[in-house]
Amino acid sequence: MFATLLTLIGRRLLLSILILLLVSVLLFIVLRALPFDPAAMSLPPNATLAEIEAKRLEMGLNLPLPQQYLIWLSHVLHGDFGSSIQFRRGVLGLVTSTLPATIELAVLAMLIASALGLAGGLTLFHVRGTAKEPIMDLGTVVLLSLPEFLWALFLILVVGVALHWLPFTGRIDPNMRLPVTTGFLLIDSWIAGRPDIFKSAVEHLILPSLALGIAFSPAIMRVLRSSLIDVYQEDYIHLARLRGLGEKRILLRHALKNAALPTLSLMGVQFGFLFGGTLLVEVIFSYPGLGNLMVDAVRNADLPIIQAVGLTYCIVVLSINTVVDSLYLILNPKLRLR
Amino acid sequence: MTIEIERRALLQMLGLGAIGSAAIGVSWPAQAQQADAVTIGWPSDVPSWDPNQRFTPDAQHLYKLVFDQPLDQNPKLELIPHLIKKWEMAPDAKSLKIELRDDVVFHNGIKMTTEDFRYTFFERIKAGHAVDTKNSWRNVADIEIASPTQCVMKFASPVPTAPQWLAFLGSFVVPKKYMEEVGVEKFREKPIGTGPYKLVDYQLNARIILERNEQYWGPKPKLKRVTIEIIKDPSARVAAIQSGQVDLTINVPVREVVRLEREPTLAGEINPITRVMLLQCRNDQGFADQNVRLAAHHAIDKAALSKAFFNNAAVPLSVPVTPGTPGFPADYKFSYDPETAKSLLTKSGFSSSKPAKIKFGSTNGQFPSDYDIARAIQQMWKKVGIDAELETIEYAKYFELNRGGKLPDATLYSWDNATGDPEIFSGYLLNTKMPFSAFKDPAVGDKIGKLFGVTDYQARVQGYKDAVKFAVDYGATIPLLQSVQTVVRKKKLSYEKFGNGWVLANTMSWS
Repeated sequence: MFATLLTLIGRRLLLSILILLLVSVLLFIVLRALPFDPAAMSLPPNATLAEIEAKRLEMGLNLPLPQQYLIWLSHVLHGDFGSSIQFRRGVLGLVTSTLPATIELAVLAMLIASALGLAGGLTLFHVRGTAKEPIMDLGTVVLLSLPEFLWALFLILVVGVALHWLPFTGRIDPNMRLPVTTGFLLIDSWIAGRPDIFKSAVEHLILPSLALGIAFSPAIMRVLRSSLIDVYQEDYIHLARLRGLGEKRILLRHALKNAALPTLSLMGVQFGFLFGGTLLVEVIFSYPGLGNLMVDAVRNADLPIIQAVGLTYCIVVLSINTVVDSLYLILNPKLRLR
Repeated sequence: MTIEIERRALLQMLGLGAIGSAAIGVSWPAQAQQADAVTIGWPSDVPSWDPNQRFTPDAQHLYKLVFDQPLDQNPKLELIPHLIKKWEMAPDAKSLKIELRDDVVFHNGIKMTTEDFRYTFFERIKAGHAVDTKNSWRNVADIEIASPTQCVMKFASPVPTAPQWLAFLGSFVVPKKYMEEVGVEKFREKPIGTGPYKLVDYQLNARIILERNEQYWGPKPKLKRVTIEIIKDPSARVAAIQSGQVDLTINVPVREVVRLEREPTLAGEINPITRVMLLQCRNDQGFADQNVRLAAHHAIDKAALSKAFFNNAAVPLSVPVTPGTPGFPADYKFSYDPETAKSLLTKSGFSSSKPAKIKFGSTNGQFPSDYDIARAIQQMWKKVGIDAELETIEYAKYFELNRGGKLPDATLYSWDNATGDPEIFSGYLLNTKMPFSAFKDPAVGDKIGKLFGVTDYQARVQGYKDAVKFAVDYGATIPLLQSVQTVVRKKKLSYEKFGNGWVLANTMSWS
């Protein structure tokens, strides 16, 4: 199995590099095709035409597009994503300083979505064929139709404003300071031996990750329910019953494991969407992550940041897909035979 | 076949989440207020901690807490001494004699001198630092130092507004020695100024924490600690002030101010500031005909716009100048008169059945209710016989579209100027040689351009009063409303109100 896994990861890596190159070409062309002049945007409004032209030459914008791309790509391969128009500092530093916050948020949100998805899927399966089924179905449709930013606003109003239970701005309490080690507050606080900061970071993470998690859970619920229904048509379930196994054991030991496979695939795809969903949620919760940076960059047409963040999203999604495929391989013995 | 799972098992699973959150021990009663501290919900971050780097009006409030400008403005926007004790402009406006205070030290304890002043306004620019001050101070030929407190700014051509620029946007004095020692990158990470507060912590797009500079040369701030929470979403700012997570916030929707001021602990304000909403007009295409431009202006009921979108707080304007600033001609009024609009259009052969067709651009979300205002104007125009095709434009693209002559015939625009000086305000807006004006007719451009060389202050101010009236009568611009700044704060927190909308933590105190 280990060899198969390595082969899969190797293939995935090669494919990922190809996809990344394609995405970088697409991003580059699309952003250059937009009617924005990065040279003019990087200067104040009262800059003269001569100054704008000089800037254009300095930025290499007079060169043919393929040549511009190759120069940019060569810089990227050397770790230089250029300089932000808005912040006038290295883009790589901006991305690496904000990425851990977004990963932390997205991972917790995915855990919440998975937990809710699992619980909801089991409930939906449990009530199928009963009078409660249409009500539960309606409930999931309602959940599906509410986007994450509405959940964000709802949670802020109820939990933050009305009940005063949880904070909804930033990553930790303003009175707390922590030296950056990894950028992941939950890890750094443990490294620093500061459970108070860990607690504060968790409290600040709950509402944004709940908003994301709740929004992405209904799809998991529905796929899990469908998968369970399919699995319960299989002969081995009937055999298990004939052997006298209890329904709880059949569900947890046999059915759930097999029904989890399609759900796992879906979760891989969902994580990509969920990562994208951090954009608005981070703005609403003033959460200093990659999404917040991206929204600012789009607002200010900061092309170097948009390119770098776009590529980062692509890398994260490809990595998650590789992990999910590997897990799929581990969980599904049939695939190892191919 | 229905499969029965034990109800208890299911409930156990569903309960896991609840148990998990209980284990975290959520106990967070949000209250920002402390006796010597304030938490402010601010809509935007600084572009960097190099204050000369990028001109961003919203960041000036924040920079003023850490850095000092050579000159300052009082709440009525009059220029007042600050780091500069005395200044004297030469009659030809080609040199400015300056005397600095001798008791100012940077946060690292090093004394501020004319060396730092020269470095900020001349040497950095010549050294090619990526700073926006390069454009505002491009006319500085040299700064001659006479002593640690005395120097003379020499200009290549007359700069009558140099004193105003010393209190404007990115004109903050930075420490020469420290910046040369650590470099610009490190300076941005650990900035040092002479301002009333020191930066103690900064998280990009999230939070700024400041502590009082106990060595500050000026009036000591009453509050020891200031926390700025960067909250970009207006709804989240409303929630933050309502929940008590912040003590003061700005730029929330007008309707929310009206709602929040009913809360017993909160006070809401809708303050008119030195910012105008106007229509930037072209002088060609659908707006080539002066009658059409003037008809478009007469057709707009500005009072109705103010009532509908700003709770009557936004003052209707006849000129692109705000009341109370030096260049405001109080005796001039441009009437709302749909009948005059119709007759002007008739003169040019247009009517309701044969409307004048124009293109109309508006930002959406750049300033409060912008797109809704544009739609209301579109309807007002329709009633008199102007058919406007409304399109959304990106604010970031405005200058580029203008440079390329691609702006629509009329564009809803917001114009801001903290100094209130007529040249920097209406002069820049209407000067055809500058990138802000869409109206390129020399009849207006020449009139304004000549005023840029006038060195006598009174003559300059009077010149602008006449020029803006001419520009409006010519149909070069359609001013709409004086913008408002909304502020919601805890009732016990007071601050000094500035005519330009500055909200400065060093003027705040608790009662």
